[in-house]
Amino acid sequence: MLHIDDVHKQYGGLLALSGASLEVGAGKLIGLIGPNGSGKSTLINVISGVTPLTSGRVTFDGHDITNHTADAVFRHGLIRSYQDPSVFFEMNVLDNATLPIRAQIGENPLLAPLRRLWRRQEETNAHASLDVLKSLQLARHCANLASDLSGGQMKLLELARTLQGAPKMMLLDEPTAGVAPPLAYQIFEAIRRLRDEHGITFLIIEHRLDMLFDFVDELYVMHMGAIIAHGSADDIAANPTVRDVYLGY
Amino acid sequence: MSIDLLATGIALLTFFGISALMALSLNLEYGVAGIPNFGKALFVSIGAYTAGVTYTRLLPLLAGQEVIDPCGRTLADALQLRSDIMFTDPTAGWLNFAITLLIAGLIGGAVGYGLSYITLRLKEEWFLALVLLVSGEIIRIVVRGYDPIICAHNGLSGIAQPFVAVGDTQTASILFAALTVGFALIAFVYAERLIRSPYGRLLRAIRENEHVSQSLGKQVARIRAQVMFIGSFMAAVAGVLFALNIGFVNTNDYVVTLTLDVWVMVVLGGAGNMRGALLGAAVITILDRVTAIVAIQLNMAGSQWEFNYFRFILFGLLLLLMLRFRPQGILPERRDTTSVPLVFAEETADRGAGAEQPSGD
Repeated sequence: MLHIDDVHKQYGGLLALSGASLEVGAGKLIGLIGPNGSGKSTLINVISGVTPLTSGRVTFDGHDITNHTADAVFRHGLIRSYQDPSVFFEMNVLDNATLPIRAQIGENPLLAPLRRLWRRQEETNAHASLDVLKSLQLARHCANLASDLSGGQMKLLELARTLQGAPKMMLLDEPTAGVAPPLAYQIFEAIRRLRDEHGITFLIIEHRLDMLFDFVDELYVMHMGAIIAHGSADDIAANPTVRDVYLGY
Repeated sequence: MSIDLLATGIALLTFFGISALMALSLNLEYGVAGIPNFGKALFVSIGAYTAGVTYTRLLPLLAGQEVIDPCGRTLADALQLRSDIMFTDPTAGWLNFAITLLIAGLIGGAVGYGLSYITLRLKEEWFLALVLLVSGEIIRIVVRGYDPIICAHNGLSGIAQPFVAVGDTQTASILFAALTVGFALIAFVYAERLIRSPYGRLLRAIRENEHVSQSLGKQVARIRAQVMFIGSFMAAVAGVLFALNIGFVNTNDYVVTLTLDVWVMVVLGGAGNMRGALLGAAVITILDRVTAIVAIQLNMAGSQWEFNYFRFILFGLLLLLMLRFRPQGILPERRDTTSVPLVFAEETADRGAGAEQPSGD
C-alpha cells in the first residue's frame, strides 16, 4: 500500500534522511522505532507532505505522492497525527471530530449562509462524529472545548479526528506520548480494533516498546536517517545492531 | 455657532454604513480567518477609482452621450455632462451605479484573491500584511501620477450618488444613508451566517493551526484567498459608496491611516464578533465626526489649536488601551458551533420521549 524508496532529506548540511526505504502492506499494523533524532518524524513529515523531500519516491495506493501537498496526501486517504497534541484547542470536541469529514456542503462560502442547504448533512456528520467519540469514551466531552481535555484524551480526540477523514492508512506519531499507561493501552486497543474492523493500515512511531511489541505485525528500526532493521517484534528484540544502537541491552 | 443636527445625523449614518462595511470585511479576514490585512485602504481605493472611471467613461455611454475627456481643457464640460445625466436620466444613473458596484467588487476581490494566493503560498501571513500595506501605497502613488484614471493628483469631482435625481438634497441624503446602512446590513447578515456555518468552523481551524488544517485535507491557501476575495469585494463596495458620498475621488483619502482606522474599529469592537465590528464602526465614526466638527468650530472661533490631529492621538490611545486591558474587544468572539446544537436537540427530544440519553461512556 505504501512504498518509500530511497528517500533523502537534507536541511542545509544536515542529512535527516539518508536513503530510507520501507514498504507497508494493506491492513498491516507497522511500528517505526529508533533513537531520538534518527529521522522517524522527518520520514512521517515527508510522506504526509508537510516537508518536501530532497530525493526519492513515495507511492501510496498506486499513486505517486512524492512531494504532494499535505491536503493532496489527505485526499488519497493517507492521514497523519502529530507528536504534540494538535487538536484545535479553541474549538469544542465535536467540531474537532467533524472538521475533517470530506465534501461538506457548508464549507462552500456561497452555500454556507443558506443553512437549510447544509443542515441535514451537518446533522448526519455530527452524529457520525458522536458515534466515533462514543467508541473512544469521549462522547460526554463533546460540547467541551478541546483545551479542557487531558493529554490522553487529546490523543484520543486526534485519533477520532483522523478516523473521521475516512483514512485508508494512518500515520501516527507517538500516539501515546505523555499518556498514562492504562489510557495508552486503551489507545492501542482502539488502533487494533480499527485495523480489524475497518481494514485501516497503520504506521506508528512509538517509544513505548513494551506495548508496541504486543500490538504490531512488523517493525522497522531507524538510525541516522536510514532503516537498519525490519522484522517481527521477536526478530527486532534479538537483533544485535538494534540492541546496540537503540534498545541498549 | 450652530449645528444642523439632522444633517449631522444623516452624515453620521452614511459614514457608519460605509465604515461598517470596511470593519465587517476586516473582521471576516482577520477576526475569523486570521489574515492580517494591512491593505484595507488599497481595496477601498479600488472601489473609489472604479467609480471615478465609470462615472466619467461609462455613464455618458449609458445615457447615449459621447464621452468627454474628464481631465485637462474639457474638464468643465465633462463635469457638466455627468451632472446633467445624473439629474435628468436616473435610469442611466442607477444602471451606472449598479455596474460600478459590480465591477469594483470584482476587481477588488480579484486583486485580494490574487495577492493573497501568491503570497500566502510563499510565506507566513504577516508577509501578506506587508505586501498589502506596500501595494496600497504603490497603487496610490501610481494613480496620483497617472492622468487617465482619475486625473492624477487633481482627482475627480461630480461623482454624484444615485438619489440626486430626487431633487431635494436632504431627501436624497436620507435615502443614500439608508442605502449604505442597507448594504452594511446585508454584509452583516452574510458574515454572521458564514461564521456560524461549517465554513466558519473551517476558518477558525485555519486561524488556529494552518498546518494541521492542511493535514486534514483543507486547501489553506485557496480558502484564505476566498476570504480575501469576499473581504476585498466588500471593501471595494465601501470604496464606491465612500466616493459617492463625498462626491469626489482623490488619492489623499486612501492613505494608510484609513487602514489603521478600520483596525481600531475591529480591535475596539471585538475581533471575530460581527456585532463587535458594527459597534467599533459606530464608535469610531462618531468620534471621527465629532472631532472633525469640533476642529471646524475651533477654527471658526479663531483657536490656535489644530484639533484635527487630536483624532489620531485619540485612536492611538484607544488602540493601546484596548490591547492592554481588553484585547478581546468590547464584544468578544462567541464560541459558535454548528454540530453540537444538532446533536443536543435530538438528545433533548429523546429524553422528552423517555429514551435513555446516549452517553457512550
